[in-house]
Amino acid sequence: MNIDLKTYLLTDTASTRTRLLALGVLGLVLSFFGYFTNPAQFYHSWLVAFSFWATLGLGAFFFVLMHHVTGAFWSTVIRRIVESVMGALPLLLIFFIPIIFGLHTLYHWSDPGEDPLLIWKSPYLNTTFFGIRTVLYFIVWYLIISKLYKLSVNQTGEEDLRRMRRVSAAGTVIFALTFTFASFDWLMSTDAHWYSTIYGVYIFGGAYLSAIIFVVLFALFLQHNGILQKEITSEHYHDLGKLAFGFVIFWAYIAGSQYFLIWYGNIPEETVWFAHRWVGSWKTASLVLIAGHFIIPFIVLIFHAAKRNTGIFKAVALLLLVMHWVDLYWNIMPSLYPDGVRISWMDFSTMAGIGGIFLWKIWDNLTRHPVLPTADPYLMQSINFNKH
Amino acid sequence: MTKQTLYGFLAEFSTPGDLLQAAEKVRDAGYQKFDCHTPFPVHGLDDAMGMPRTKLGYVIGLFALLGAIGGFWLQAWTSTVGYPMVIAGKPYFSWQAFIIVTFGLMVLAGAFSALFGMFHFNRLPRLHHPLFNSENFKRATDDGFFISIEAQDTRFNPAETRTFLTKIGAKNVEAISSE
Amino acid sequence: MNLIKPKKQPSPDATVFSGSAPLPEPLITGKQTFASITERISAIVEGKPPKGWMIAFSFSVSILLMLLGTIGYLADEGIGIWGLNNPVGWGWAIVNFVFWVGIGHAGTLISAVLHLFRQKWRTSINRFAEAMTLFAVICALVFPTIHVGRIWMLHYVFPIPNQMEMWPNFRSPLLWDVFAVSIYFAVSILFWFTGLIPDLATLRDRAKTRARKFIFGALALGWRGSNRHWQHYELAYLVLAGLATPLVLSVHSVVSTDFATSILPGWHTTIFPPYFVAGAIFSGFAMVMTLGIIAREVFGLKDFITLKHLDKMSKIMLVTGSMVGYSYATEFFIAWYGGNGYEMFAFINRAFGPYAWAYWTMISCNVIIPQLFWFKKIRSNVKILFVLSILVNVGMWFERFVIVVSSLSRDFLPSAWAYYSPTIFDIMTFIGTFGLFFTFFLLFLRFLPMVSMTEVKGVLPAADPHYKAPEEVKEND
Repeated sequence: MNIDLKTYLLTDTASTRTRLLALGVLGLVLSFFGYFTNPAQFYHSWLVAFSFWATLGLGAFFFVLMHHVTGAFWSTVIRRIVESVMGALPLLLIFFIPIIFGLHTLYHWSDPGEDPLLIWKSPYLNTTFFGIRTVLYFIVWYLIISKLYKLSVNQTGEEDLRRMRRVSAAGTVIFALTFTFASFDWLMSTDAHWYSTIYGVYIFGGAYLSAIIFVVLFALFLQHNGILQKEITSEHYHDLGKLAFGFVIFWAYIAGSQYFLIWYGNIPEETVWFAHRWVGSWKTASLVLIAGHFIIPFIVLIFHAAKRNTGIFKAVALLLLVMHWVDLYWNIMPSLYPDGVRISWMDFSTMAGIGGIFLWKIWDNLTRHPVLPTADPYLMQSINFNKH
Repeated sequence: MTKQTLYGFLAEFSTPGDLLQAAEKVRDAGYQKFDCHTPFPVHGLDDAMGMPRTKLGYVIGLFALLGAIGGFWLQAWTSTVGYPMVIAGKPYFSWQAFIIVTFGLMVLAGAFSALFGMFHFNRLPRLHHPLFNSENFKRATDDGFFISIEAQDTRFNPAETRTFLTKIGAKNVEAISSE
Repeated sequence: MNLIKPKKQPSPDATVFSGSAPLPEPLITGKQTFASITERISAIVEGKPPKGWMIAFSFSVSILLMLLGTIGYLADEGIGIWGLNNPVGWGWAIVNFVFWVGIGHAGTLISAVLHLFRQKWRTSINRFAEAMTLFAVICALVFPTIHVGRIWMLHYVFPIPNQMEMWPNFRSPLLWDVFAVSIYFAVSILFWFTGLIPDLATLRDRAKTRARKFIFGALALGWRGSNRHWQHYELAYLVLAGLATPLVLSVHSVVSTDFATSILPGWHTTIFPPYFVAGAIFSGFAMVMTLGIIAREVFGLKDFITLKHLDKMSKIMLVTGSMVGYSYATEFFIAWYGGNGYEMFAFINRAFGPYAWAYWTMISCNVIIPQLFWFKKIRSNVKILFVLSILVNVGMWFERFVIVVSSLSRDFLPSAWAYYSPTIFDIMTFIGTFGLFFTFFLLFLRFLPMVSMTEVKGVLPAADPHYKAPEEVKEND
């Protein structure tokens, strides 16, 4: 790939495009065959992969909202990258279709039977309303995202920035509500008896963190290929590093609070969720999550140099991205395998399938428009940010 | 007689920008025992003076770690050995419950070491200093920007240093006695 | 080490990009120089107090005396003089404790969190916001102290070796509170004093009388603006900010565990820690705004505490107020979703039971009123902001009242249900703490610089070494 420095459009992008599409198609085809060998495994793996990419897209969505709401200018230089990720989110609605087919396997509430709790919850947790809600979330997200995206690519100056800020302010409120209920619906209800008020915030913490580090990795990838080498500086990585560090702590704070209050209260209907994640090899998974999602990145990112040294930062970012997947796996899979962790090849094929198409869409978004918001009045300030 | 009690020279500059450039020149001229005095920290002056990065961060880190270890030990010991009591059906060694106070004592130790470590590195409190002999120096906490060069410096020479300071843009140069 | 092999590419320059950024608005208004800032802020401390100050001070001191009298009576009689009854063993005392601790949070947030985020606008409000934190925490500490009943036995809450070889119970949230709040107080003092050192040196150098020279000379510790000192100083300040930030979040989280670790319906819910933190910041900013508006009117600091500051604070209140609203909504939804009858009852009882009046006051002040901050017209009207900021604090007080009293008064055993009302002594103690708060705060306004001169100078355009005065720019172009 290459870049046209007059227009800041990417050129020679076809090979990356083909590779991502091939990866996606291959993953989807493999997963499709997997369905016939073990449908329950297929549906659960699919839900993990879907949640992974959806939370990544939602995290990027939130990143853009915050960029505008806070009037930040340091992140103007990476804004187009984040917007491309955000812009790929609505596409994921297609990948929700298998989940609708697998409702009975994934969610016990879809067939409440004699269970009084599930009958009680059925006005909310029933298949029709569940489907309507998901479609509604995606419609709302699509409306806000496409509005922001259009304003951004057609931006001419300061006035558009103000418009984007207004859309983002209202968008943040809608985001908070839809994200919370989406995480209740898709993830929390896999254990239909259990509940936790903080759950939406917990999933949000992981989602935003994954988006931050995905942007870091994406920017590094572009720079490896000779794009934006002068524009994205170690100052930007440093700030992304600080943001990631903050959200490593935030995730641990929220996940820790959830565990801690349930542990202390010691009410069986709540502790059961953690008890399931403390048996057999799930205990190992829990410890891996604590170490990899919090302790290791916390210790590494505390150092000034680690956030600027692209090598170490890249390693930590990759670790955190894997850990985000582990987090979701750890949330969903115990309902299928209560005895212990059982990794299947379909966990990977579904990730590649949805991921390939998702990344292809991101790449498609990015190559359609200049990789920098060239008309943004704060772009030069963002490039020279903190340089003296 | 005056030479023996000479502390050094105090040169005044008009703006932070002038001071920054002058500091670079003093550094390049090879002076070691010199200092800048400003009413607020001026960005970039550390590099202009050629100062090494502060080691205070490591000291604070060490004390914070000690605070955390000490705090955890205090709770673990009192709850298991010192005064074991079954409360709310919790195990004696409830590490989950100890996190909060451990964290608190880590922060407390870190905060105290930040302030007192800063005092240590800065050799403060020091209520009297030769520079306070200068009436003009009072403006260092108001709107004055100063460079002081100590007579102890190996490159110091009363006549040369004075002309040097004037040449690099000092508004006025004042000799400070060490008494 | 940089892993990327650089390609040859010209550095980006402004000619490629069409937009050019407008000049940033000044943080403080009215052509200020370094000297004018020193003069303006120091004059408040050095001159005679305005008449309004004398009146306010005498009023505050008399209320403080009422507090001391009430506490004396309490120590003599015991906490039976309060309105506590059997299910409601925690009444106004804990409500007021949480209320005051919460108010303190904004000070640390402004000075520490906004420092980490490089928000330069914080410089003219951080000093008095930090002072507010200290005094609010003192007021908060009054309540658990006097609530123990036998105040002279208070030292038992600390792990002090004693002849009975007894140790405090480290598995109790109430003990975490002791640690969290007292550590918070200690760290806030350190942070505040560190920030004050350069300004104390300014006052020392301006001192005319012997007494002032002596006092400020001792307090400034011989500070002489040395850059070799500034280097350590700036790092120490940054680290203190970095430590205070997680600390302030932890303090209100710990306060929330007083409730959330129990299994009482309406208290035991996992969202409590972040929800309490958001509420604390919300109420704290409201208090900063109330005090800031008073200070800028009384001492004529409109150039320092500008409309822009009030605008930003309104926006933070909008955000945190909405977070609080989000938490109310999630709690209500999960109370139903969880399918636990007791939990559902607790929430329906809050909204429609005997304390419905308190609940709806809370909802109006905390959720509905902050939505007015969406409008620019409201955010720039000082009078309306003043009223709204007070209403927000009323709402936040009621939030704690609703949580504490509505859950306790209707617990698991219906035969023990009772209605709680405060006695005159509850009310006098609470009002008395305002006397305590304002006495300290007025003394601070009178004797210490309420705006950080050092930091405000540091964010003036002229403080940047690359700054060129407007005339010079013209010549170069």
